[in-house]
Amino acid sequence: MISLLITLVLVFLLQLLFYSWWWIILIPLVLGYFEKDSVSKAVLGNGIGVFLLWFGMSLYQWNWGGEIIVTRIAQVMGAGSGLVLALATGVIGFLVAAIAGYAGFSLRKTIIKEYQIS
Amino acid sequence: MRILKTVVAFVFLIGLFILLNNSQGSIPPLGKFLNPFAGFWQNGSRLDQIEEVLDVKGLRQEVKVVWDERQVPHIFAQNDYDAYFAQGFLTARHRLWQMEFQTHVAAGRVSEIIGSKALEFDKLQRRRGLLMAAEIGNNKMNEDPDSQLILQAYANGVNTWIENLTPATLPLEYKLLNYEPEVWSTLKTALLLKFMAWDLTGRNSEMDLSVIRSALGDDFVKRFYPVHTPRLDPVIPSAKPWRFDPLVADEIPPPFEPQFVRDLRMNEPDRDNGSNNWAVAGKKTASGFPILANDPHLGLKLPSIWYEIQLNTPNMNVYGVSLPGAPAVIIGFNDDIAWGLTNAGSDVMDWFEIEFSDETYAEYMYAGEWIKADLRVEEILIKGEDAYLDSFPKTRFGPLVHFGKHTLGNGHPVGLAMRWSAHEPSNEMGAIRSMNTASNLEEFYAALETFDAPGQNFAFAAKDGDIAIRHNGKFPLRAEDQGKFVRAGRDTTGEWRQWIPKNQLPSISNPWQGYVSSANQNPTAKKYPYYMGWDYDDYERGSRINDRLKAVNNTDFYHMQQLQMDNFNKQAQLMLPLMLKQLDSEGFSGEELRILNDLKTWNFVSDPNQKAAWVYKQWWLHLEKAIWEDELTLYGELRELPGRSVTAELLLRNKKNKHYDDIRTPAAEDRRTVIQNSFYQTVIDLQEELGPYGESWELGRARGTNINHLLSVKGLGRTDLFTGGGVGIVNATKKTHGPSWRMIVELGDSIKAQGLYPGGQSGNPGSPYYDNAVDGWVRGEYYNIHFLTSPTVSGNSKLALTHLRNYQ
Repeated sequence: MISLLITLVLVFLLQLLFYSWWWIILIPLVLGYFEKDSVSKAVLGNGIGVFLLWFGMSLYQWNWGGEIIVTRIAQVMGAGSGLVLALATGVIGFLVAAIAGYAGFSLRKTIIKEYQIS
Repeated sequence: MRILKTVVAFVFLIGLFILLNNSQGSIPPLGKFLNPFAGFWQNGSRLDQIEEVLDVKGLRQEVKVVWDERQVPHIFAQNDYDAYFAQGFLTARHRLWQMEFQTHVAAGRVSEIIGSKALEFDKLQRRRGLLMAAEIGNNKMNEDPDSQLILQAYANGVNTWIENLTPATLPLEYKLLNYEPEVWSTLKTALLLKFMAWDLTGRNSEMDLSVIRSALGDDFVKRFYPVHTPRLDPVIPSAKPWRFDPLVADEIPPPFEPQFVRDLRMNEPDRDNGSNNWAVAGKKTASGFPILANDPHLGLKLPSIWYEIQLNTPNMNVYGVSLPGAPAVIIGFNDDIAWGLTNAGSDVMDWFEIEFSDETYAEYMYAGEWIKADLRVEEILIKGEDAYLDSFPKTRFGPLVHFGKHTLGNGHPVGLAMRWSAHEPSNEMGAIRSMNTASNLEEFYAALETFDAPGQNFAFAAKDGDIAIRHNGKFPLRAEDQGKFVRAGRDTTGEWRQWIPKNQLPSISNPWQGYVSSANQNPTAKKYPYYMGWDYDDYERGSRINDRLKAVNNTDFYHMQQLQMDNFNKQAQLMLPLMLKQLDSEGFSGEELRILNDLKTWNFVSDPNQKAAWVYKQWWLHLEKAIWEDELTLYGELRELPGRSVTAELLLRNKKNKHYDDIRTPAAEDRRTVIQNSFYQTVIDLQEELGPYGESWELGRARGTNINHLLSVKGLGRTDLFTGGGVGIVNATKKTHGPSWRMIVELGDSIKAQGLYPGGQSGNPGSPYYDNAVDGWVRGEYYNIHFLTSPTVSGNSKLALTHLRNYQ
């Protein structure tokens, strides 16, 4: 739960300041690396954190002045409705962050393992 | 094992990053695009928010901007520089992507944005010399200090806006196509002006006419492609005497037969790019003040072609529409005068067949000698690929646009060069600026002296009571029919040597009839001493406008609106009675009888709910085809058909004629059979397309109007609009084409004006101001224009004020 919140808050702040989408790779990668307990935390904590952020932020934008643009883009992308579009945004965020979290976690394990062997 | 897992995870992650960070075909980069902090989610209506104070780097003094309820900016500046700076700044705020994209199209730089699929288009644009023309124009305009100031101030304003953008506030289309805006320059404005010139003068039927002439002979061309078409009601009333000594063009020999023009018709602007304008003198208006009306017809797109604006400085107060990307007001009014434009349609583009000595295209034959051609090299950048270098020779006849495929009998390569008046140096910016500040007819005509391309009919009305119209532009002095066919570049006979003096151009002021008008028809009757071209629009719109203006007294805004929205089909009034008379209804099915009955009772008004209007239109097209398709399908392509009025005249006057006969069938068709057969064929085709005769056959449904996004992205346009009107009708609305700005101005003690355009001020598809005027445009509901005298907003809830503060 805490790792989820850390992901959410960190990515939120960095994206608010610097916009780039790849913060959802970088932060989960780093957080995954420092996640000592379990792989599921690294994967789900990051994944769900980013899902909630991206899905939530999409809903926020949609409701605050985004009615027209969301309807149009839903049509452009064949998404059916704004909700589908917001969910798709969240799911892509989840996928990317989860994989990044896993990669970070796995990297640390590899380094530790290599270190122990040598 | 662990290493393997890690490597796989990273490979997967990197792959995902590449996939989501880059466009995949037409799919935008999804990571960027869906990012709720900077992707499309940010392009909502919050971008429309009006600030009370904006710090703007580069202004000289504070500028006040009043926004009205349609988000039209009314700019109050203390000097000219700031006015045009603010125009650039605010236009970019609403339309940055559109203005930049259009200049990329003009310059042949689309491959930079969408990749090599646009390479052929870009090559053709470059070879047409649009970039070259813009460079020439830009140099010329920048020689004039006033024009230079305007252009540079505007560019600085645009660039200040671009600097203020963040990844989140970037216009949607940049996000869709995954690129970023570049620095604006005065060259881009020049490009935009040339692009407009291309759109209005780039259509050319010379190649078709050459093919038709060589296949069917001189007499055929003379009879069916005449300079003065039947029923012509010219822009300048035929009674006007011409009191000047005209220049005399050199005689030219008969046209030669070019060999290689059969497959050269591509990407030419719409035939019906045209417009209506008129001015009515005070003696015919209810208020006693002159009224001017204008509605330019262009391809309808979103974002809208026009951007409405008011510019106020201590020595200027002008309102109207501007082209996003160009400073000042193109069509509009000020405290003293109003003006409107329609396309002149006179011929300003000629094609020449040029013979080269060899494949290097370094020398071409001219007057018995080999002349050196200049080679122009164009570097075309392509997204994701290496740049492409294209080169083409420039001749004294202009750039060689089509070449590389054909050789003459002697083995010499041959190509087609394009002589176009817009390739000449000219300063339209200076002309437009002078029009914006003119206060009477004399000053207005003086402004037109430097307006060369595109040639336009300028209708004019002034507070002092004057009305006038002038067919203005840079028009070459021509012998009869010069420019109707492709000419040989190897001799000097088809060359342009002189221009028609501006003071001898067709014009009239304060005619006794109390009105002037134009609708792209031939500007003059036979008495006018110059030949200016032949491919003008037919008589119907112009004639209908004149009929109504002649009949009206005490006219007012309402009448003027009615006239702009007039759906009366004059061509149907002329032809339908004959067509119905020839029709034998024996053996008609029930459905055919119903259709026939509706046609018989139709009042010739092409309102959107009229089924007969669409049936008639299709029937006429089928009839034209039935008459001409056999003769005019030459080298596998249906060539330019004779004008509607010419075909109509043939049908009205001749019961029997060899052209009625379809030479591909054994039967000998006459007028009755072509009319009968084309009716049957129309019904069959429409039934197949629209189903049983019913609601779906109504004009507004069967045709209607689509206003597509500039990129034709589905979902960003407005489609299936229930519209009436059509070709040859004053309300010249078609499927994707029509009145792009309707304006009516009354020049009384205080100026009153109404306007309407099919779109909105904002270029952002996420804004309500993107298409807020579309529904009103369909119904003809005009809005009152706020022509403000001061930046005071108190007491008017429709207005809001922004201070643009000078910030260093």
